[in-house]
Amino acid sequence: MRRHLLILLTVAIMIPSFAALVLGGIGLVQHERAMERVARSYVVDIAESVASRLDMSWSRARSFPLNDRERFLRLRQVTWGLSIPGWVAVVDVNGTVLVSTADAEVLRLLWQKGIPVGSAIEVDSREGEKYTLAAFPAGDTGWYVVAAVSWDKLMGPMMRFNRWPILVGLIGFLGIVSVLALWKWLVAPLRVLGNEVSSLQLGKDIPQGDDPSAVFEIRRLRQVLEQLARGAVERAQLMKQYVGDIVRVQEEERSRIAREIHDGPLQDVTALIHQIRLSRMVKDPKNEDTRHLENAEDGAIHAVSEMRALCDELSPPWLDLGLSQALDELTERLSRHLGVEIPVEVDCDEELPADVTLSFFRVVQEAVHNSVRHGRASRVSLRLSCDNGKALLEIADDGTGFEPPGDFEELRVRGHRGLANMSERMSLIGGKLEVGSSDEGGTLIRCKWGPTSSSA
Amino acid sequence: MAIRVILADDHPLTRAGLRDYIAKERDLVLVGEASDGDEAWDLIERERPDVALLDIRMPGENGVSLARRIKESSLPVIPVMLTSFDAQQYVMASLRAGARGYILKTVTPEELSRAIRVVARGGLYLDGEVARSIEDGDSAFESLSGREREVLLYAARGLSSKEIAKDLIISERTVQTHLASIYDKLGARNKTEAMLLALKYGIVALEELIE
Repeated sequence: MRRHLLILLTVAIMIPSFAALVLGGIGLVQHERAMERVARSYVVDIAESVASRLDMSWSRARSFPLNDRERFLRLRQVTWGLSIPGWVAVVDVNGTVLVSTADAEVLRLLWQKGIPVGSAIEVDSREGEKYTLAAFPAGDTGWYVVAAVSWDKLMGPMMRFNRWPILVGLIGFLGIVSVLALWKWLVAPLRVLGNEVSSLQLGKDIPQGDDPSAVFEIRRLRQVLEQLARGAVERAQLMKQYVGDIVRVQEEERSRIAREIHDGPLQDVTALIHQIRLSRMVKDPKNEDTRHLENAEDGAIHAVSEMRALCDELSPPWLDLGLSQALDELTERLSRHLGVEIPVEVDCDEELPADVTLSFFRVVQEAVHNSVRHGRASRVSLRLSCDNGKALLEIADDGTGFEPPGDFEELRVRGHRGLANMSERMSLIGGKLEVGSSDEGGTLIRCKWGPTSSSA
Repeated sequence: MAIRVILADDHPLTRAGLRDYIAKERDLVLVGEASDGDEAWDLIERERPDVALLDIRMPGENGVSLARRIKESSLPVIPVMLTSFDAQQYVMASLRAGARGYILKTVTPEELSRAIRVVARGGLYLDGEVARSIEDGDSAFESLSGREREVLLYAARGLSSKEIAKDLIISERTVQTHLASIYDKLGARNKTEAMLLALKYGIVALEELIE
């Protein structure tokens, strides 16, 4: 009920409004008909009664011979005393008015050939006024009694006091108009707004800031929403910048530390090994000191290999050799450590920028680990191709695969940072990362970089 | 006649140790030391040593590019990399640049002198720690077929399977089958190792590999 309240409300107003409009219409028609019947019976009654009176006095007059003047006087007597709304006249066959009530000239105007005798009809005057008119023959006098009422004059007040159907109709009409307005300016814009908001990606989309066909409140709501969305987008951009800065600073720091370890302690310990070996050469192998020196040498060699491993983990020096060779070295090492087969196909003669090389490198590092750890893959194949400043790296495995998420951030929230990090890496260099299924049913990761895929 | 050697490394302590290593051998003589790439080049041009021990990472010009310069200038100097980098890709890069030896700085005095003697004789010396499989592999390898050898040489030049397939007019799958068979026969785990092993066994000559 609450879910569809607006529609229900609209319908709830719409139905009575329609009903009122229809009822008003019916009422109006019925009223008109009632008035017509009243007017008809009224004129018919008058015409009939006058005609019969005329006929009676006429018959009596015939038994007493009267001259024309007396006859006429009698006729006048018959009609004189009538004080009624409307007009009555006595006309002869040619339409000449013999006698009439006051102001009955109008009857002459209405009188026309072909008016049926004995029933009432509606006639319009030349001015457009409506009349009801009835003509009755007055016995065998050869005259006719004509009675008429003007709708405007007689019925006017009655009509005026009976305008309720119009009123009801008007109310109905107003109801419908307001329902339409309600729909157009409130319900429809509200529904559009609702849909927009429900599909709005905060931090990405900015909704329309104004809807000219909506009510003020919705327009203001839209304004506020637009401001909020704008703020979110700015925050998201700022966030991305932050993340970019963090990754950059982290990489710089890692590479600095690796370099310092390599140029500092690693060289020092190497030199130490030389000195130990030199001193061992002059000692008697059976000597107690020689045993200590041997231990020292072993320890120093161990330290060197640990420091090398640390450098490689932080930022391998062989990244300087370019992406193709760095990938070869990385995959050969990974394949040794993880026990997986990693064929590499490189079809790229172009020199890629250092940050792109680093990003691809890190993605491969992460992806191969993921394939083995999560996908239990036994083979991960890499394919790198370059063309006109564009690079495409595909990493396909034969593991279990997984349902690619719609949003990497969602994974990050759930604690799976791997894919989110890879995607972040690519977006920082203006590239794109896509996840799909490989031909072998495992995972396929596709990294694109180049002028066209630049999202910045 | 003693083998004349120069040593280029920016780390004084390392230089001191290696200097003493060389001094212990009668047939080796250290004719100069350099602490950066530019100094090393001056030294090479001036002294024309038989063997130049070059650190890969040095201030100024790095060791690999020095080796390339020696090759390009056709100087009768044999570059040997003496480095802390244990990546096989550096071995390949150095060999392509013209180096005939690759030794890690943790080398023992015996190994160092052996390496210098081997390269001075015109041989190739690779540190066992970098190419471990080269050391512990028994030399009982199966010989490669002509086609396999060809595929390996193409791959060594850095061509992709697709390119090799195109050049040899065979399918990409066949190239991959050949590569798998090469790895298997040589006991290599990857392309780089296969190349290094092929060099060791004399299946391919260094000149063929880097051309």
